[in-house]
Parts: sequence; structure tokens; C-alpha cells
Amino acid sequence: MIKFHPSEEILQQFAVGDLSPALSVVVATHVDMCSHCAKQVQEIEHLMAEKFSQTAKGIGSSQMDTMLEQIFASNEPAYQVIQDTDNIISLEGKRFKLPATLARQKDRIGPWSKVPGKLYRAPVNLGSGECMNLIYMDEGSSVPEHTHKGQEATLVINGVFHDESGEYRDGDFILMNSHDQHAPQTQNEDCLTLAVLDAPMHFTSGISRLLNPFSSLFFR
Amino acid sequence: MHTMQQNEDTRRMTKSPPTTSGTDSPEHLASLLARVAATQCRAAFSELFAYFAPRLQAYGTRQFGNEQIAADLVQETMTNVWHKAHLFKADKGSPATWIFTIARNIRFDFLRKNKHRQHDLSADDLWPILAEQNESLDDDYALDHDVLMQEITEYYQQLPDNQRLVIEKIYLEGKSQQEVSDSLGIPLGTVKSRTRLALQKLREMIVNHD
Repeated sequence: MIKFHPSEEILQQFAVGDLSPALSVVVATHVDMCSHCAKQVQEIEHLMAEKFSQTAKGIGSSQMDTMLEQIFASNEPAYQVIQDTDNIISLEGKRFKLPATLARQKDRIGPWSKVPGKLYRAPVNLGSGECMNLIYMDEGSSVPEHTHKGQEATLVINGVFHDESGEYRDGDFILMNSHDQHAPQTQNEDCLTLAVLDAPMHFTSGISRLLNPFSSLFFR
Repeated sequence: MHTMQQNEDTRRMTKSPPTTSGTDSPEHLASLLARVAATQCRAAFSELFAYFAPRLQAYGTRQFGNEQIAADLVQETMTNVWHKAHLFKADKGSPATWIFTIARNIRFDFLRKNKHRQHDLSADDLWPILAEQNESLDDDYALDHDVLMQEITEYYQQLPDNQRLVIEKIYLEGKSQQEVSDSLGIPLGTVKSRTRLALQKLREMIVNHD
């Protein structure tokens, strides 16, 4: 049972496409694992679409005709297939099944390196300049207490870890800001997590965010 | 008599807002998408275009603050609708939701291409709404395969020519959908939608016969 979910605000920003690439991957992976949030995202998309349907902007009829002609003459766009076959990663003799979104990023997972404290880390390079890592905590491992400069989003892919405020299991999503101090550790079980540091909450290309027509829907 | 007249008027009035009229109803829009998927019907697509293009233009203008980029978004979104209409699943949401999510994905990629990041994560990685489920036949086809092999010869000749041809090649000649697409020179999406429609029809015939 997943106990920790992204806020409605984050799901909203995810659904309109306003989260950064890395945070989008973390949220999309949580949504893969969480039917509750999957349903909420669907509902948000439905609301957005209703709003989208309500406003039209006239296009000249000659432009409409030109566009139609170009569409009828166009080639079929590149064919995309979902490959579900290759979704396993191995580490320290253990195998982990990746949720669909993360499995699609498998080629972007870099080599594992050992970090003091029985931890392992592999970067996930999305090409967006963000710091995203898979972090594996072996049994009985601990991360020294720390704070974050910015925000840290963490998703438990498999296993369980604890910190001062609770216990986190498969699918749990945790967002910490610079005021949160924590010291994650594992006990009798290991844990694989996906983490983004300094995750920007907003997609930062200024004007698009200001013009976002949907922000009024949830933020009043 | 007077009361009836009033009812008539009320009925006409409730019908007047465009969003509730028959031609803009989700059911009607879905049927247009089905016609595009099955027969690449240009008239059906033109009707979809007339309804959605101005809405996409408004969405794009709000997002980008630029009419030209908005027009590009309209063009790219509707090009996908034209070629990928067979991927619309009426049981998973309305046509407006499907088309909105396609536009949302294109916007996500537009904003990143503007930053010259060609190899960045793409929206399709996050929301694979335009990906085919699998190269092979979908599961529900596979389940029916044995039944169809027994009954198919009896019924398939009653199918429309274009569907019968596809079914013949796949089920009797054992060709893949891609091979059928290549040999007939029609898009893979069309092969898939014709297969789907033909199997639906066959299923109905078999059920009705039993």
C-alpha cells in the first residue's frame, strides 16, 4: 500500500507538462506504480481537455485548406513501439524490475559506483542537466544526516528505508526541501530508490509558465 | 397545445449551445475518428479538423504567445490524429482528451527543442499515447485465434473486400501486419484498424450464429 503521494499541485503540473524532465520521470514512475494517482492524472487531463474545448481561435479558411492539404500529403510519423521486454536491472546479484517509465530510460542509466556507507549510485542522464540518480542502499546501510540546497524528490522503486519521520516502501514518493534534515537508513531489507536533487518545481521557461491557462484551475 | 409549444421551444433552446449539439458531441467526434482509422475518410477528418484546429490554435497561442508556433502545434497535432486515429480508444477517454494530450506532448517537446536539446527526454517517454502496444497482434486477438481459425473460413468471405484481404493474409497466409502493410502498400495503422474491425465483425457473426 503506497502511503506517500505527490501533492495534487505536482500531479497537476505533471499532467500539463510543466514539471522538469527529471521530476516528470519520477512522478510518471510513481504513477506507473500507483493506481490512485494514475486515476487522478486521468481526471486532471479530462478537466484540462474540457477547458481546452471551450476556447477557439479563428483560423482563416485559406490557411485551414492549406493545412489540410499538407496533412493529407504528409508521411506517417515515425512508428513508436512500446518495448516491455527489457525492464530488469541487476546489481550485487539482485534483480530489480523497473516500472514502465523508468524501463524506457534504461539506456540512459550510467555505470554503478560504490559510495561509502554500503551505498551504490548510478546516474540517469536525461540530457536535461539535472542531477538524477538511482540509489541502492544495501541492508543495514545509512546515509549521513544531511540537508539539501534545493529540493530532493525520492521514489522507492523496491524495498524499504527509514528516516526520522517514517518508513518508506515501494512506490512511496517523498519531496524534501532545504529545511528538512534527514538521515535515511535501511535495516533488514535493502532498498532501490530514484532520486532527483535540486528538482525545480516549475518548468522554468518563464513566459510559458506565466501564460499557463490552467493554473487558475487549481491555484485560487 | 400551448404547453406542447412551450416544450418545443425549451427543447430547441437547450440544444442551441454548440458544445451540446449533436455534431460536437464526444460520440460524434469518436465516430469521425473511427472513420478516419478505418477508411482514412477525408471528409470525416476535415470535420474533426474544423472542430479541433481553432481550439488547438487557441491553446498554442496561450502557451507560446506566438501565432506561428501555435499554427505549427496545430499542424503537428492534427497530422498525428490523421495517421494515428486507430490508437484512439473510446473506452479510455473522450476524443477531446486524447487530442489534448497529443498537443500537450508536442508542446513539451517544442519547449525543449527551443533550448537546442535534441536528445533530451521526449514527451513520448513520459506519456506514450502514440505508441503501438506491440508489434504482434494484441492479446485479445491472440485469445480468439483458435476459435477464428475454425470458424473463419465460414464467415470471412462476408467481410468487405478491404477487410477480407487483410484477414486472409494474416490468418490464412500467416503474414505479419507489417508484411501485409508492405505488400499492399497501405500504412500499418490501416492494417491494424482493418484487422480490428474485421475481427469485431467476425465475432458478431459468430456470436449471432451461436
